[in-house]
Amino acid sequence: MIRFENVKKKYGNTVILDNLSFNIEPGEFVVLIGPSGCGKTTTLKSINRLIKPDQGKIFVNGQEISQVNPVKLRRKIGYVIQQIGLFPNMTIEQNIGVVPKRLKYEKKEIQKITRDLMEMVDMSFEEYAHKYPSELSGGQQQRIGVLRALAASPPIVLMDEPFGALDPMTRATLQKEIGKLHKKLNKTIVFVTHDMNEALDLADKIIFMEQGKIVQMATPEEMLANPASPLIRDFMRKSSLATDPLNLTAADFMSANVISVQKKKSIRECTDIMARQHIDSLVIKNEDETYAGVVTIKDIKKHGKSSGTIGEIEPYQNITSDILENAKDSFDKLYNSGDNYVVVLNNDQTVAGIISKTSMATAMADTLWGDMQ
Amino acid sequence: MDASIILEHLYLVVMTVIFSVVVGLPIGVLAYLKPAGRKIVLWSVEILQTIPALALLGLIIIALGPGKMTVISGLVLYSLLPIVHNTCVGLENVDNGIKEAGKGMGLTQLDRLISVEIPLAFPMIFTGIRIATVTTVGVAVFATSVGGGGLGKIIYQGIRTQNINLIVSGTVSLMIMAVLFDVLMIWINRRLAKGAHNKAF
Amino acid sequence: MIFFETYGDRLITAFQVHLFYVLTSVTIGFAIALVLGILLSRVPQYAKVIMPLLSVFQTIPGIVFIGILFLYLGMIPATVISALAVYAIFPILKNTYTGLLDIKKEYIEAAKGCGMSPFQTLLEVELPLASPSIIAGLRMSTIYTVSWAVLAAMIGLGGLGEFIYIGIASNNDQLILAGAIPSAIMAIGLSLLIDVLRRVVVPKGIRSVK
Ligand SMILES: Nc1ncnc2c1ncn2[C@@H]1O[C@H](COP(=O)(O)OP(=O)(O)OP(=O)(O)O)[C@@H](O)[C@H]1O
Ligand SMILES: [Mg+2]
Repeated sequence: MIRFENVKKKYGNTVILDNLSFNIEPGEFVVLIGPSGCGKTTTLKSINRLIKPDQGKIFVNGQEISQVNPVKLRRKIGYVIQQIGLFPNMTIEQNIGVVPKRLKYEKKEIQKITRDLMEMVDMSFEEYAHKYPSELSGGQQQRIGVLRALAASPPIVLMDEPFGALDPMTRATLQKEIGKLHKKLNKTIVFVTHDMNEALDLADKIIFMEQGKIVQMATPEEMLANPASPLIRDFMRKSSLATDPLNLTAADFMSANVISVQKKKSIRECTDIMARQHIDSLVIKNEDETYAGVVTIKDIKKHGKSSGTIGEIEPYQNITSDILENAKDSFDKLYNSGDNYVVVLNNDQTVAGIISKTSMATAMADTLWGDMQ
Repeated sequence: MDASIILEHLYLVVMTVIFSVVVGLPIGVLAYLKPAGRKIVLWSVEILQTIPALALLGLIIIALGPGKMTVISGLVLYSLLPIVHNTCVGLENVDNGIKEAGKGMGLTQLDRLISVEIPLAFPMIFTGIRIATVTTVGVAVFATSVGGGGLGKIIYQGIRTQNINLIVSGTVSLMIMAVLFDVLMIWINRRLAKGAHNKAF
Repeated sequence: MIFFETYGDRLITAFQVHLFYVLTSVTIGFAIALVLGILLSRVPQYAKVIMPLLSVFQTIPGIVFIGILFLYLGMIPATVISALAVYAIFPILKNTYTGLLDIKKEYIEAAKGCGMSPFQTLLEVELPLASPSIIAGLRMSTIYTVSWAVLAAMIGLGGLGEFIYIGIASNNDQLILAGAIPSAIMAIGLSLLIDVLRRVVVPKGIRSVK
């Protein structure tokens, strides 16, 4: 469906694409991944002739694309640009309908397509179709950017980090949608990302690029089993699927969202905080931000007075663990001590987070089933 | 055509710009400080600009009689718009974080204006002054109709006597003057911007 | 009141003539400027040289254009209209050019990626996005032209300048005002009209973006 033959591109003296050759079969979902600036966007834009390579040939559907009228070529290739690029002068409906309108679809049909697509990403047609891009959140804009590329059901879709600005939940939903869509409509998709999780989830084939070259082109399973370079291994490590449980540290399992106060805080303020956050203990810090101990609501009640500072109450010496400590050791402490959580300390004795049974469960689920956040 | 006419024109321009800055800068600052009056001030200077230059001069002649003062006051009214506008907008555009920081350090409003906001807005203010200067070079040709002299005299004379050489020499001097002012002031603005940069970091 | 009895008819004619000069010359200037601005924006490497040259010519006072054209064309309305049109071109040209050039690359790229031809991209994406800037230029040109059209009277071609010239020559403040006030009203009126035009032309989605 898409074939690169020795494609080269230079800007000035810097080589951006270095003799790229690869082949993408019809219906394949191919993910381009690699560090920033490695040439992913350039590769993508060469496919729809937004960029003209200096050397080499690119074939789409068996035709050498330099022989095809670029406007005709592009109407058969959906394109989601990295910067979203919704036309600010058009409504959402007009944006999604840009290509169908050019292909002379009927008005009713365009509206139906728009409605169906918007429904697919949980955006109500009534509410959003007549709004302008500037009235939408970044994530919503990004969704519309994807829909615009799909509207005329092109057989090939190019997506340049289409989910970059989305929160993990929407991201996961849209990833699923894209995966489903791919299977249902049998489209050929070339998808650029920084995120190895995304690549492993979606790809039939992953192309890993570095400095304009393909370092490895393989199925996700293959890449997981035999990463071809240290950099790929590094990318894999950041993705939780590939993490070796033996190497996990306290940092991987803690929740960094810990509520701590300095000793000079008044007791009244502290009880306020605890009531508002629905927690029954507070981590106490010394003046220099180092860990001092934990004060529970019971300690405060025993103390009796609600005037004065929290520092006047002798803090409980909760169990702690070092941030680089092996996760298993931290668990053992948590279970054996009877404390509600382990306080995780940085090297300089400041508080990094806590490991509670909840944070543990979340992190485990994360490792097993991907990013839960 | 002799040099004294060019100097006369130059004199009109320089005096006009000096007075416009003296009048326009405070008005711009006030408009910035008092958002309530801002619209009215900006609107009034814009209205002034819609009055044909010749008519404006004609009206001032009635009050002041013919002469250089008439010309200069007319031209000042005419060049207020870019100066007032750029001062007000330039001050408004100063980064909010920096303004907050100034407040946070306990500077008074006057202190903040003088030591932070005006210096930061200065490139924009100076651009307003430059636009005013270049425009004034051109508009000052009307001076001759109200007894103010300058290059307009040469041009009018050329038109009246159908002497193309006279028109061209007057016009070319005018263009050169305008371009020199423009280039010089762009250069100064760049130098100042650089200086400010070095000082700040 | 006596003033109006004496001058009323002449004032109305002068106003109409003045307005005629302004509208025709701004319309002609606008058409030329729009086309030139679009062409220049296609070749920014040349435009970088051409624009500063044009801005130098911009410093030539309108009176010189009228004066020189007067020598060659004589005392006909075309003299005034072409001189004013030349003068009206520059602000619109400059704003069209910068407006088109300031459009973010991503929009052009998205348009191309959607399979728009260069002409469609211009018509449906670039011009709408540049429209606030273009209209601002039109407004500026119009206000200037109302003011410069006073010069028509200098070569005996009527308009509100007639009152101003006679007024200055005869030291008659009423006559000067009779020329000045209507021309200020005309400038304000036309700029209000352009504000209305702006509401119609500038797409809603980019209005807040200025
Ligand atoms: N028009 C250009 N002129 C010069 N250099 C360019 C140009 N466009 C891209 N480059 C360079 O080419 C290289 C590859 O760019 P490209 O946009 O393909 O990277 P990328 O892999 O998509 O990166 P990212 O993940 O940050 O989007 C970069 O080093 C970039 O600086
Ligand atoms: Mg990229």
